[in-house]
Amino acid sequence: MAGEGEVVERTLIVGNQFGLHARVATMVVQAMKNFSCKVTLVKDDIEVDAGSVLELLLLAATPGSEILVRAQGPDSIEAIKELHRLIQHDESNEI
Amino acid sequence: MSGFDDKLENYYIKGVGVAGGVGIGQAAVIERLTTDMCPRRIISSEEVPLEIERFESAVQAAVDRLKDIRNGIDIDHPLCDHVYILDTHILLLHDKMFFEGTKAVIASERQNAEWALSEMMMKITSAFDTIEDEYLKERARDIHFVGERVLKILMGITSKSKMHQLPPHSVIVAHDLSPIDTAQIKKENVFGVAIDMGGRTSHTAIMARSLKIPSVTGLEKVSKLIQTGDTIIVDGSTGIAILNPDPETIFRYRKRQDLYRKYHQSLMAFGRLPAVTRDGSRTVRITANIELLDEVEIAVSHGAEGIGLFRTEYLFLGRKDLPSEEEQYEVYRQVLEHNKPDPVTIRTLDIGGDKMAAHFQVSHETNPALGLRAIRLCLARVDIFKTQLRAILRSAVHGNCKLLFPMISCLPELRAAKQILQEVRDELAGENKEFNPSVMVGVLVEVPAAVAIADLIAKEVDFFSIGTNDLIQYSLAIDRVNEHVNYLYDTLHPAVLRLIRQVTIAGHARGIEVAMCGEMAGEPVNIPILLGLGIDELSMNSLAIPMVKKLIRSINMDECVELTQQAFEMQDALDIHGFLEEWIKKHFPKDYFVDQS
Repeated sequence: MAGEGEVVERTLIVGNQFGLHARVATMVVQAMKNFSCKVTLVKDDIEVDAGSVLELLLLAATPGSEILVRAQGPDSIEAIKELHRLIQHDESNEI
Repeated sequence: MSGFDDKLENYYIKGVGVAGGVGIGQAAVIERLTTDMCPRRIISSEEVPLEIERFESAVQAAVDRLKDIRNGIDIDHPLCDHVYILDTHILLLHDKMFFEGTKAVIASERQNAEWALSEMMMKITSAFDTIEDEYLKERARDIHFVGERVLKILMGITSKSKMHQLPPHSVIVAHDLSPIDTAQIKKENVFGVAIDMGGRTSHTAIMARSLKIPSVTGLEKVSKLIQTGDTIIVDGSTGIAILNPDPETIFRYRKRQDLYRKYHQSLMAFGRLPAVTRDGSRTVRITANIELLDEVEIAVSHGAEGIGLFRTEYLFLGRKDLPSEEEQYEVYRQVLEHNKPDPVTIRTLDIGGDKMAAHFQVSHETNPALGLRAIRLCLARVDIFKTQLRAILRSAVHGNCKLLFPMISCLPELRAAKQILQEVRDELAGENKEFNPSVMVGVLVEVPAAVAIADLIAKEVDFFSIGTNDLIQYSLAIDRVNEHVNYLYDTLHPAVLRLIRQVTIAGHARGIEVAMCGEMAGEPVNIPILLGLGIDELSMNSLAIPMVKKLIRSINMDECVELTQQAFEMQDALDIHGFLEEWIKKHFPKDYFVDQS
C-alpha cells in the first residue's frame, strides 16, 4: 500500500539539455501510474508529487540540476529505477 | 492608425520568421478568449455540487476532444513526433493542482466554475513567472491553452474558425496558437501563419517548422489589426507580415514566392556538386559543423563533404557523470560511418571548467575565457582526456577520422597532448584493442599566440583549422556577447585578415592543409577573400552549404586573388566589408541572398 514501508531516497541529475521539460514530465507522470508507491521529487527544499505534470514543471529543474527522489511503498526501488531512466538518461529528443 | 473601422492598407509589421517561405492568402483570425470575458457570480452552497459537476464534465469533454485529435495523427503525419504535447495537455487537465485546485475554489469561495477556473489559471501562470529558465517558463502557455479550452466549453463557445475546416488559401492569424490548434491544421489549405506572441522555442514554432508552412511570430497585435477574409502576406524568411497589401505588393510577393521556391530548389541542387571555381583551378572542400549525431543527415542532404568540426561538448554537458568510453565510441563511430569515406574532424573537449563544476574544484574564475578550459583542462584531467582519445582512436577504424586539439597556445602544450595520444595508442595496443593508430592530428588555431608561431606548430601537425569566432575575440579583445563593445567585433578587421593569411602561409609552406571552421566560413560575402587567401576547407552550418557552393562555382580564382590584394590595401574593416559586399552585388545581381540579408 502507498505510504507504507521504508522510505527510499536517491539523488538524480537532470540529463536533458532543456531540463525537466514537458516531454519528460509527461513521461514521468505516465510511468508513475504503473506503480503503487508514493513518489515525490525534492529540489531546493521544494517537494513535489511525481504524479503532477504541473508540479514537476514548477520544480524548474534545469539541465544538470540535482533532484532527490523519495519513494515509499512496495515497488519503490522499481519506481526509482524508472525515474533514473527517464530523468537522468533522458531518452526523449525534443529540440 | 486612423478610425478603428478603417482597414489598414499595405501595412507592414516586423516579427520573427520561424519557418521560411512566402505565404499569401486570406486571413483566418482565430479568436481567443480573455479572462475578462468570463462571467462571475457567487453561488449558493446548494449549487456547489452542481457547479463542480459542470466543471468535471467540461474537463472530460476537453479530454475527449484532445484524444480524438491525437488519435487522428498517423505515424506518417509530419507532426507525429510532437503528439506528446497533446498527451501533456491531457495530463494537465487531470493534474491535481488544476483539477482539484479549481474544484476546491468552487467549494470554498463559492465562485462559479468559470471564475474559479480563471483564478486558478492566473495563480498557476504567476507561479511559472518566477521560473528563470526561459524554456521552462514558456510552458505557462500550455496551461493557458488547456484552461482556455475548458472555459470555452463551460461558456458554450465554439470557435468561429475551426482549424480543420479552414477554406483554401488561408493564412492563420492568432494571438497565440496552441499545439492542439496546430495539430489540426490541414496543410493543403493553410498558406501561412502569423502570430502575436513570440518565442522560437514555443511548441507552436517547433510544429510550424515541421509542417513547413511559412510562419512569422512576435507580430504583437496582428490578430487585432486584421479581420477574417482580409488579404495578408507572410514572409517567413524575413519575418514580415503585410496586411491588406496593394496589388503591386501582391504582385511583387508572388514573384518573390516563386523566386523563393525556385531558388530553394535550384540551390539545393548545388549541394550535390563540388565547390570548384568556374575556371576549374581551385576546389575547396565544403564541410559541416555539427554537435549532435542527429545533425549528420541534414549535413549530408545539404551537400557536406564530411564534417569539418564535430563539437563533442554536447556529450559532456547537462549531466553529472562523465560519458563512458563506450558511449563516446558509439557516437563517434556512427558519425564516422555515416560520412564515410568523407573525413570527420573530431574536436577534443572544448569546455570551460565552470561548465563542469561537478568534476573540478575550480575556484571562481574572473576571466573564464582566459582560464582553465579546452586543452588546458584536458591536460589537467588526463583521465577525461584519455577516455575521449581512446574512444576516438577506436572509432577511427570505421571511417576517415581526423583529430583536432582546441586552444593550443604553445608548443609544449601540443607536445603534451601528443604525448598523451601516444600513451593511449600504446595502451590500446597492449590491450589488443582494434584501433587506428595513424589518425591525422591538427591544431585549432584560435589563440593569437598560435598564429604567431604557426610556422613552428606546422612542423608538428598534419593540418590546421582556423577557429575564427575565438580568434577574433582574442585578437581584438572583444567579448562578442558584451553589448557595450560588440560593435567592435568585426570579421573583416584588417588584423583578422592578416592573421588568417599568416596561418595559411605557414601551413602551406609545410605542405599541410588549412581549414576554417568559424561562422566567418559560412558567410557568402567572405567567400571570395577566403579563396584568395588560399583556405583549403570551409566548414559551416549545413544550411549555408548550397549557397556557398553556388558562389564558389561562379567565380574565377584570378578574381579572388585580385580582390584579396585590393582588400589588403584597405585600412578599415567597414571599407573592406563595403567593398566585398559591392563586389558580390555586382557579380551576383540576381541572387536572392544578397537583397535578403
